[in-house]
Amino acid sequence: MALRVALKEWKLLLKEKGTFFWLLLMPVLFIVLFGSVFNHLGGSAISLPYLDLDRTQASQSFLDSLAQKSGFKLEAKDAGTLDQQVDRIRNGKQSALLVIPPGFSAAMGAGGGRQASVELYSDASSDTAAAVRAALENVANDLRETKLKAALKAAGASDDESRQALEMPLRIDDKPQNASAAGTIAQVVPGYTVMFVFYIIIPMIRRFLGDKTSGMTARLRTTRMAPLHYLLGMWLAYVVVALVQCAVLLGFGHFAYGLPIGDPAALVILVALLAVCGTGIGLALCMLVRGENQGMAFTQLVTLGGAVLGGLWFPADLMPKAMREISHFIPQYWAQTAFQDILLHGARLADIAAPLAVLAAFAAAGLLVGLLRFRAFMKSATA
Amino acid sequence: MNPAIAMDRVVKSYEGKPALKGISLAVREGGCFGLLGPNGAGKSTSMKILTGLLEPDRGAARVFGRDVRRDGAEIRRQIGYVPQAITLYEKLSAYDNLVFFGEMYGVRGGQLKKRIGEVLAQVGLADRAKDAVEKFSGGMKRRVNIAAALLHRPRLIIMDEPTVGIDPQSRNHIFEMIRSLRREGATVLYSTHYMEEVEALCDELAIVDRGEVIAQGELGDVLDRYGARAVYLELQEGGTPPPLPAGFGKPVPKERGWLIETPRPLEALTAWAAACEAGSAGVKRLEIVRPSLESVFLSLTGTSLRDN
Repeated sequence: MALRVALKEWKLLLKEKGTFFWLLLMPVLFIVLFGSVFNHLGGSAISLPYLDLDRTQASQSFLDSLAQKSGFKLEAKDAGTLDQQVDRIRNGKQSALLVIPPGFSAAMGAGGGRQASVELYSDASSDTAAAVRAALENVANDLRETKLKAALKAAGASDDESRQALEMPLRIDDKPQNASAAGTIAQVVPGYTVMFVFYIIIPMIRRFLGDKTSGMTARLRTTRMAPLHYLLGMWLAYVVVALVQCAVLLGFGHFAYGLPIGDPAALVILVALLAVCGTGIGLALCMLVRGENQGMAFTQLVTLGGAVLGGLWFPADLMPKAMREISHFIPQYWAQTAFQDILLHGARLADIAAPLAVLAAFAAAGLLVGLLRFRAFMKSATA
Repeated sequence: MNPAIAMDRVVKSYEGKPALKGISLAVREGGCFGLLGPNGAGKSTSMKILTGLLEPDRGAARVFGRDVRRDGAEIRRQIGYVPQAITLYEKLSAYDNLVFFGEMYGVRGGQLKKRIGEVLAQVGLADRAKDAVEKFSGGMKRRVNIAAALLHRPRLIIMDEPTVGIDPQSRNHIFEMIRSLRREGATVLYSTHYMEEVEALCDELAIVDRGEVIAQGELGDVLDRYGARAVYLELQEGGTPPPLPAGFGKPVPKERGWLIETPRPLEALTAWAAACEAGSAGVKRLEIVRPSLESVFLSLTGTSLRDN
């Protein structure tokens, strides 16, 4: 009979479009939106408006070099719009403006200690300005290197001698770990998957309390249905929904953004335990709360509080030490850790035993509370 | 033969507030028993005890000879409960609702499909089976609400105010359905506020007030026992009726004539006929009238408002 209850619940869920929005569309939107905000997913470059008042081959060559080195998308503006562009920066509508003044080419070729200059107008509160400045310094260094090479050559140095003379005394060997876009994807996709699995508590509370207040639970008590079958059927329905939800969201991450899957067995067990954990805590709340409003408040606390403390929105390493300590008591943290271990570090089932055990403990605690409170829930359903 | 329902001095309190103060009822099998009472009288509490939703604090309640405390599971196989509230899944179709309830009553497969067809025809909604319940009128929802309790062919149907807020056509349809269920041998326990429903459907009734049964028996017996007989007079020319000798009370206007309630209706009728003849008043109608259930109900329960 539990399966019949679950079947009815699935039929109801399919009729309620709001559930689809909350459980599937919303997290997909969040993944796309925050993936783009944290960049790297879409691959779109930052644009940098510029005014070329010199209009020479040298200024164009400088701009080409900047575009190539920095990856900025350079946007030419009309020469007469300097004041407008600066106003846009002052009003916060634009982060920076590069101006190549007249005489740039002449100053570049003059020598004798004369320096060419460019002007960088920027919004001091924006991070973009620092990135532009760094890129400009990079190009300036290249130009200086070229100039030095020419001077050395003029002084009779060979190419090898020039190269040795210009070689940096310090070399940085950059060895990025978890490189590429996968790092961001592996934060955003599992993060929002875990977060929205816990949002399943909302329809659970609505359905359990809706049945109770409408008199449905009482009516069902007058049928042959065993009360435990009702509990089992309702819970089972949402476990399956959470599994489908995880499959859709992780599948979206995989097919749309190339999210690695890692060890499939480990992933399947993790997703199953996450679904049982989310719905187990949901079941406990359904049995404990006095009304839908109270239920919604607790759900927001569990989902949003858990998302922040569990490191679902940003890596837990970025949090203050005290919060990092607290996060160890949050199931979302363990789910996210296990996901990242599987997706980024190639962890197998045995490697994520600890997070799985914690999730299982939370699930068991939720189910136990739900079970213990169920008798009182049914008894109070007499409307 | 065991009665279908036997409640013996059943007591039930909610947080110390008494809801039933020793109710005793007996409903014979195959009958339609009306449970009448103002709001908060104890009708719904009695029904919930019989369905197993509540346990009595004291006393005994039996359904087909089985104790509600001990044999709840067996009793639930034999009863169909129609609650006061419409308890259906509004987003699902009438058919899907009935599939669900049928399965909850243990009816499956082809048997359930056949039975759904029968009950939908019985409630006059066979052509709307696939429509979502949310699109139905109040009367249609009430009918599906009843249909959901009939799928397993219960021996006892407990109906808690099943006609609240519906149109006369739906009410009439429900009446016909109940008569048909009785012809098939089912016992019906019917709670209502509407006197005319009890008069139309029930052969036995109990009037409940403040947790106690204050009148119980066959409809005619209750009317005879608790209702004062009356004499009705209507004059051809209208106007004031001639006075009656002392001891018969004062006539009160009723419809187009006058009514006098008296324990000696035949004497009052003779005296009024004589008075009319003596006063040359033309009589259009002069008769002894039976008391109505409403007058009995109001005389037993009083006319003060009951808001809870």
